[in-house]
Amino acid sequence: MNAYFISAHDFKPFITRLIEARRVIGPVAKRNRFTFERVTRAEDLRLDYDVTILPPKKIFFPPVQDLVHFEGERYAGCIEAEPQVLLGVHFYDVKAIDMTDQLFREKFADPNYLAAREATTVVASNVQRVSDAAFWGSIGADVAPKGHDAFLTMIETGYVFETRTPKGAALLEFGRFRIAEKSEVAAADRVNAEILEKCPERIDHPAEAVAKRLWEVFGDEALWEKLAEDCFSCGSCNVICPTCYCFDVQDRWNLDQKSGARARSWDACLTQDFAQVSLGAGATENFRESRGERFRHRFMRKGAYLNKKLGGPACVGCGRCSQACTADIASPPKVINKIMGAAR
Amino acid sequence: MGKPTVAFFDFACCEGCQIEMTNLGDEAFLELLNHIDIVEFREAMSETTKEPIDIALIEGSFTREADRARLEDIRRRAKVVIAYGQCATTGGINALKNHQKDYKEFVYGHAAGMPHLASDSARPISSVIKVDYNAFGCPVSKYEVLQIISHLVHGKEPVIPDYPVCMECKRRETVCRYHEGDHCLGQVARAGCGAPCPASGIPCEACRGFVSDPNLASLKKVLREEGGLSERRAETKALMFTANETAGRPA
Repeated sequence: MNAYFISAHDFKPFITRLIEARRVIGPVAKRNRFTFERVTRAEDLRLDYDVTILPPKKIFFPPVQDLVHFEGERYAGCIEAEPQVLLGVHFYDVKAIDMTDQLFREKFADPNYLAAREATTVVASNVQRVSDAAFWGSIGADVAPKGHDAFLTMIETGYVFETRTPKGAALLEFGRFRIAEKSEVAAADRVNAEILEKCPERIDHPAEAVAKRLWEVFGDEALWEKLAEDCFSCGSCNVICPTCYCFDVQDRWNLDQKSGARARSWDACLTQDFAQVSLGAGATENFRESRGERFRHRFMRKGAYLNKKLGGPACVGCGRCSQACTADIASPPKVINKIMGAAR
Repeated sequence: MGKPTVAFFDFACCEGCQIEMTNLGDEAFLELLNHIDIVEFREAMSETTKEPIDIALIEGSFTREADRARLEDIRRRAKVVIAYGQCATTGGINALKNHQKDYKEFVYGHAAGMPHLASDSARPISSVIKVDYNAFGCPVSKYEVLQIISHLVHGKEPVIPDYPVCMECKRRETVCRYHEGDHCLGQVARAGCGAPCPASGIPCEACRGFVSDPNLASLKKVLREEGGLSERRAETKALMFTANETAGRPA
């Protein structure tokens, strides 16, 4: 890993040249929020964003995506893998990308995800503004982000650009970079360490204790039903989650009735019919019928089931679920702190 | 199903859902005619039929006992019956009158006593005959109807969403109405429309009705506390397209 420096003055020309040369995706404003979009003008890039509505998983795993196109008996997979630069990913979202990388690679490797992932250069950037639901300062502290190709940190005089991979280093040619001074690297480290203390929300318990407690209260039906009382089963907390990766697959016919597509779209385990399965002969069963069961499932997935596999909780503290839940019952800090205190 | 015969029928409605199909435009509509044989479609042709039909699309709600025989006749003749549009699937906007007494005077003034205005409460088609599939919406989604028909043509089971509009807003990354100080019914409204209204800055009115298990107690609370609606407004807000579901179905 090498550290470089680019002055504040040279930064915008760097972005402009990058946009001219590559397809660049970055945070931009959308009404009063932010989203990752194709950036076509340097001035649209908003590295001062707090959090985006959807996490960057949508770049590798789009909300709706054709998997196969067919015509009569012929069919072909459709994998899009245009080279691109995903710029301005906060460290918590990099952690989530590491997790979806692992989850989409295991067993039945997902070629669509992996192709888009490999075609993308991920440039992380430091958090300049903290979202009012963020709790990334107190979760998964021992899980280091590692899936990025470079990390950009704004310091007083400009930006420190730490390259982690050859893909990241390949971007150096677009800007007036020089080797960073030790003091500049130290300043960047300080910026990234200090921000960890700035989250408005926190989970006051280590991940192992939370996982243990979740298993203990698993059978406490009344607790889960109470927590889920106001749940709309709308699935918002799932689909905006950077580590949720479930999808539904359906066929779509074109007008000619010969050709069409098999497409997938994001699914959500909080929705009422997610766990409805066929028993054959037209009969169905829903194995997570109540709101409480579905609510519990999300917390088990995020706080217990995947911990061993991922090396930590499947939650990175972005707070998107807390914000997306109109009933205000999804916030992990609130729910976990409540569960940790629930009568044994 | 080969080239199925398809017929549109209408009861108490504006027939806008029939018009919506013609909005597919010449090219798409003419291509569709290569795959289905439309035998009755009052908004687009003069011919009618008394013959058996493969797919009956029934628009409008049931508001008159006198319509029962016609509905039963359609059911007898049709292999597949689709309740077509919100009036047919739940009673839709017509069901607003089920909970009002003075609507005729209010709307028609001194003509309120005209005999053709006499009708009973508005009910879904399924209250009279067995319905195989629902094409929800006010109006229907023409693209969804195309998929329903395509699936039937290919002998597949059509898939009708039973999750809320929030999912579709999130998939297209729409800024939540609640995050702009507005209210919305998206949390309980049935998806399938693609959520165009919130994307244009307009709250969802649940024009496709509710999902099958809407949390209405929570909705009232959120409309009041987050959406800033009054107690009474929060109570009546969801009525527009779902009066039969929120205020109870007429006996």
